[in-house]
Amino acid sequence: MKKRWVFLVAVLIALLSCPPQWYPMPLRLKLSEWFGAAGYRALPSSLVVAANEPQVFCPPDPSGWREQQLIEGVLIGESAACVADNPYAVAAFVRGTNNIEQSTLLKSGLSADAVIKGRDLDGDGDPDEIHIRLEVVELNGSSGVLSGAVTQYEIAPGIKPGMWVFAPKFVGMAVENFGSQKARPELRLPSPAIRIEAGDKVTITLENTHYMPHTLHLHGTDHGFVDAGGEGNDGVPIASEVPVLPGNARSYELNPRHAGTMFYHCHVQAHVHVMMGLQGLFIIEENRPDNWVQTMNVGAGLVRAPSRAVSEEYDREYDLHYLDLDKELSERIQQDNDPRLVTRSMHREYDITDATVDYFTLNGRSFPYTFRESLLIGKDNDRIKLRVVNGGLKGIALHTHGHKFTVTDRDGVALPQATQVPQDVLWLATSMRADLSLELVNDGLHAYGPGIWLFHDHQYQGITNDGIGPGGNISAIVYEQYLQEDGWPKTRGVSWDAYFTEAYYRKEIPVWELYAPGLFSDTGFDWLMVLRMLGLALSLGTMLAVISMGIAKRGRGR
Amino acid sequence: MKFKSLWPGIVLMLLLANDAAGQETAGHEGHGGHQLVVDVDGVVMNENQSTLPRDCSEISRDYKLTIRAGKKYAADVAGAIFGMDRHEVRVEPCSRLTVTFVNEDEVRHQWMVHGLPRYLYPAGMFHIEASGGRSRTGTFIVPGDDQTFLIHCDMAQHMEKGMRGQLVVGAGSGNLWGVKGVSDQFYRAAYLPPKVMVLIGIILLISFLISLRLLKSS
Repeated sequence: MKKRWVFLVAVLIALLSCPPQWYPMPLRLKLSEWFGAAGYRALPSSLVVAANEPQVFCPPDPSGWREQQLIEGVLIGESAACVADNPYAVAAFVRGTNNIEQSTLLKSGLSADAVIKGRDLDGDGDPDEIHIRLEVVELNGSSGVLSGAVTQYEIAPGIKPGMWVFAPKFVGMAVENFGSQKARPELRLPSPAIRIEAGDKVTITLENTHYMPHTLHLHGTDHGFVDAGGEGNDGVPIASEVPVLPGNARSYELNPRHAGTMFYHCHVQAHVHVMMGLQGLFIIEENRPDNWVQTMNVGAGLVRAPSRAVSEEYDREYDLHYLDLDKELSERIQQDNDPRLVTRSMHREYDITDATVDYFTLNGRSFPYTFRESLLIGKDNDRIKLRVVNGGLKGIALHTHGHKFTVTDRDGVALPQATQVPQDVLWLATSMRADLSLELVNDGLHAYGPGIWLFHDHQYQGITNDGIGPGGNISAIVYEQYLQEDGWPKTRGVSWDAYFTEAYYRKEIPVWELYAPGLFSDTGFDWLMVLRMLGLALSLGTMLAVISMGIAKRGRGR
Repeated sequence: MKFKSLWPGIVLMLLLANDAAGQETAGHEGHGGHQLVVDVDGVVMNENQSTLPRDCSEISRDYKLTIRAGKKYAADVAGAIFGMDRHEVRVEPCSRLTVTFVNEDEVRHQWMVHGLPRYLYPAGMFHIEASGGRSRTGTFIVPGDDQTFLIHCDMAQHMEKGMRGQLVVGAGSGNLWGVKGVSDQFYRAAYLPPKVMVLIGIILLISFLISLRLLKSS
């Protein structure tokens, strides 16, 4: 009898707790007909966003790396954006690590045999025997001892996907210093752009410092299927040679006859290894007298010591490497330390046919970090050469604001003059290259005048970081008058403070909070509703208990 | 391939600018404040033949050891790719170690000791790097108290994939995690056979039902 009363009270509490917005619509209408509209209740007020100290937009340049300078007789052009390449490394890549002073070599951080430049075979004043060494580096990998990623590399604030890159051969530690897990600045995405001259006799030795097998495949580049010694030379495990196992090295040879913008990548389990970042631009410059080319461009971007042929026609040259990343793939190297488990996870459990890509990088960074180092900087009437590759899974609809560029070469082959028309969207399929001529000529066609003009993928995934915008491969064409002393553009729009926090890309900050505070913020909470939910939970629990006791009693009775 | 200069034995005492750690582009010029000896075979950093640590009055003993490194030394170690022939070195306090690091692979490897007194070894490091197929020798003096120091290869992932060891001075100060043959990994996978969790679930259910029956009948 007592139980019945308990049950009735519980039902009563449940009915009272049930929020009015859950009542069936006809009942609500009837109720308001009988009793009139319910009284005014203010909606919960907006939540105040916790203060997030933004990172420094434009890191200082204490060593003066941005300035134009002469090192080892090499004129290293000014790099006006915030973060510049090490000019000593640029000089070492131009002269060869065997042709420079010890002090330059030490400042470059490179090993003595990173790029060996030998004899001048055609007698035109520049070396034609080139020996390049590449290592393989894992960024943001796992550790059996530390909980976070090791050899860390951020593509954007707080975003550290696991990746693999080819890297020039440096000496010393992979991190900045012992107290840090951050990768040294030279170890980064993308793999370096490699530059040689047409007709060079080139040897590339792949020193496999990684824990998985890899090869080097020279995509679109003139090379023999076998080398002079009859060994496989195409880097394809199923067709030409056994891959380079960890701790081993292998040399590839080429003597390319044509100039053009090509590509290189690993060809072992290519659907995984190329997507992890083992890919880079491979550029063959025209053969000219006294043409010392910058054999590697770390992190792609501005070519600080451009070739003769490019300098004749253009004021500046940039390598632009687009690459997207699938976080469901890249996180796999962070989940286990045992290479057997990692191998299984990456090559058998991961299914690229179900993949969607999440991060979109330009020269190894996503917005806002692209603005530190991948701005295209120029002044009125400059001609800028862009060598673009799309190494990502997704196609790219490359669009420039304020400018129409001209495609001069496609996949390393010059296009007929008649087809070279200005355009502002270029479709680049996976692994496609294009050479673009960007003319800052204010004629209403090629350019509309000075400013900060974005350029980005017009497929909209590409302008986000895992779905949060602005992000992805957004960068800008910036005219000199719109550039601060430190290399940061004088943007006129909204504050970027939120974009330089990790919280923004963790989806914790409302997108318009900084310039419309409170208006579109996260909502506060209705505590009366919480009370109702509590009442509902308590009463329904009591009701259930009474019912189950009844069932149990009936069972025993039988 | 001609070299402008031949380098074996050239000693360079370098004091290079080092950015404050934590700064956005810290480490512009990598080896901040270290003493480097570079030659074609590799690098020796912070070599110390004779300066005694503060807590030592004399060199207690001279050790000469050879450490061999390469994938060969990981061949019989499950889950390792690279290795050394010794992952633990035990020495007396205040002793002098002359280490010949022999790299039997075709890629670079390093033998790097961390945590040494910073007044003697910049950043507390002593470091030998040998190019593929080369060897390199370096000397340093350990301090006088019982301590365990980390030895590793600081190439990306080489420590994680096997090249991790410890230098035990005197009685040491306890073992480090994840030293091959000495201590377990801190984070390790569970290594369960496939579908075993289904079996565990079924057993849990059976045990629950049996207990229920037993409690009811009692």
